[in-house]
Amino acid sequence: MSAPTSKPMITDVFVTGARKGWAIATSSTIPNVMMAFIIIKALVITGALAMIGKVFAPVMAIVGLPGEAAAVLMSAMMSMGGAVGVVMGLYEGGLMTGEHIAIVAPAIYLMGSIVQYMGRILGVVGTEGRLIPPMFIICIINAFIAMFIMNILV
Amino acid sequence: MNANDQKITIGSLIALAFACVFFSGLLQSNEWYGVFDFTTLNGGFGKILGSVAGSADAVTQKFTSFRGTGGSGAKDGFIFALTLVPTVMFAMGMIEVLQHFGALEAARKLMTPLLKPLMGISGEAGLSLIASLQSTDAGSAMTRGLIDEGKMTKEQGDVFTMFQFSAGATIVNFFSSGAVLFTLLAADGSLAVPSSIGLCVAVMLLCKIIGANLMRVYLKVTSSKSAAKTATA
Repeated sequence: MSAPTSKPMITDVFVTGARKGWAIATSSTIPNVMMAFIIIKALVITGALAMIGKVFAPVMAIVGLPGEAAAVLMSAMMSMGGAVGVVMGLYEGGLMTGEHIAIVAPAIYLMGSIVQYMGRILGVVGTEGRLIPPMFIICIINAFIAMFIMNILV
Repeated sequence: MNANDQKITIGSLIALAFACVFFSGLLQSNEWYGVFDFTTLNGGFGKILGSVAGSADAVTQKFTSFRGTGGSGAKDGFIFALTLVPTVMFAMGMIEVLQHFGALEAARKLMTPLLKPLMGISGEAGLSLIASLQSTDAGSAMTRGLIDEGKMTKEQGDVFTMFQFSAGATIVNFFSSGAVLFTLLAADGSLAVPSSIGLCVAVMLLCKIIGANLMRVYLKVTSSKSAAKTATA
């Protein structure tokens, strides 16, 4: 893996990685972010975002976030890239500040894509069914620990 | 275990140290040392004229990024996503280079003796742990292998799976989306987010380890409960 038989040019190595980045960007980032913007638009015009903001405000306030940030965490469970799109949407709408982004960023990943990963990690490893709910809960606990730490740090 | 047992060299340690500094944001600056900082080298898009307003004697111009202002929905999402592409490509290119110089190999060697005290899993999991930071599929397949070969007990496997399940493929996922957040600029041109890529990664790794230990506690509690049940039955 890290013992190449011939020595490639360092520039070629970089370009190989950048090409992987392009593949990720086009196959994952762009579709996921686009989806997130569509979801946000739907949440905004139906008034659901304002409702989420109200309902979750007390919980999210514990970690120094506005209630709308709950929408970030909910979308994170489906897709990490999508959640980043939601953050951007809320940031531009003035509902989240830079400090809020710093707090929520690690949490997006800690409870990110777990719906997908149930198959791709737990399914592949063959985790017992009884352990799946606690694993979901621990991911959410992890996310809150991270937000708590970040809230103190920033 | 063939290539995986190769010794870590000074070069790979330097590569690892460089990776930590490069993504930490410590050297973020327009001075010469900014060349060792990801955000600095990532740069920014040019501005285009957004609007012009004013009377005959005073004209004010407003500039925006090429994304413009006031968009929404799928179209705005698409254009915004395009602005993320260079960061993703740059980050993945750098990770490839750092990997080429053995940064991840060095991380694996340094972490191996820590696996037991930190998570109670054997050092043999080191390779799959590093793999799991880059690919959820590689990590989970290798973990399955370790359990099937008996190199890990079922409980250790569950704890290790928990480690991977929270923030799966941390490095690739984070650098292909979240890293972008740390390059956001506020209206006055300063960085919007008062945190750094390095801090964010550190907090994620810390919480992954905390999560694995919560699983360890959970397994202990439930197994002693079921043991008590069978004892009374």
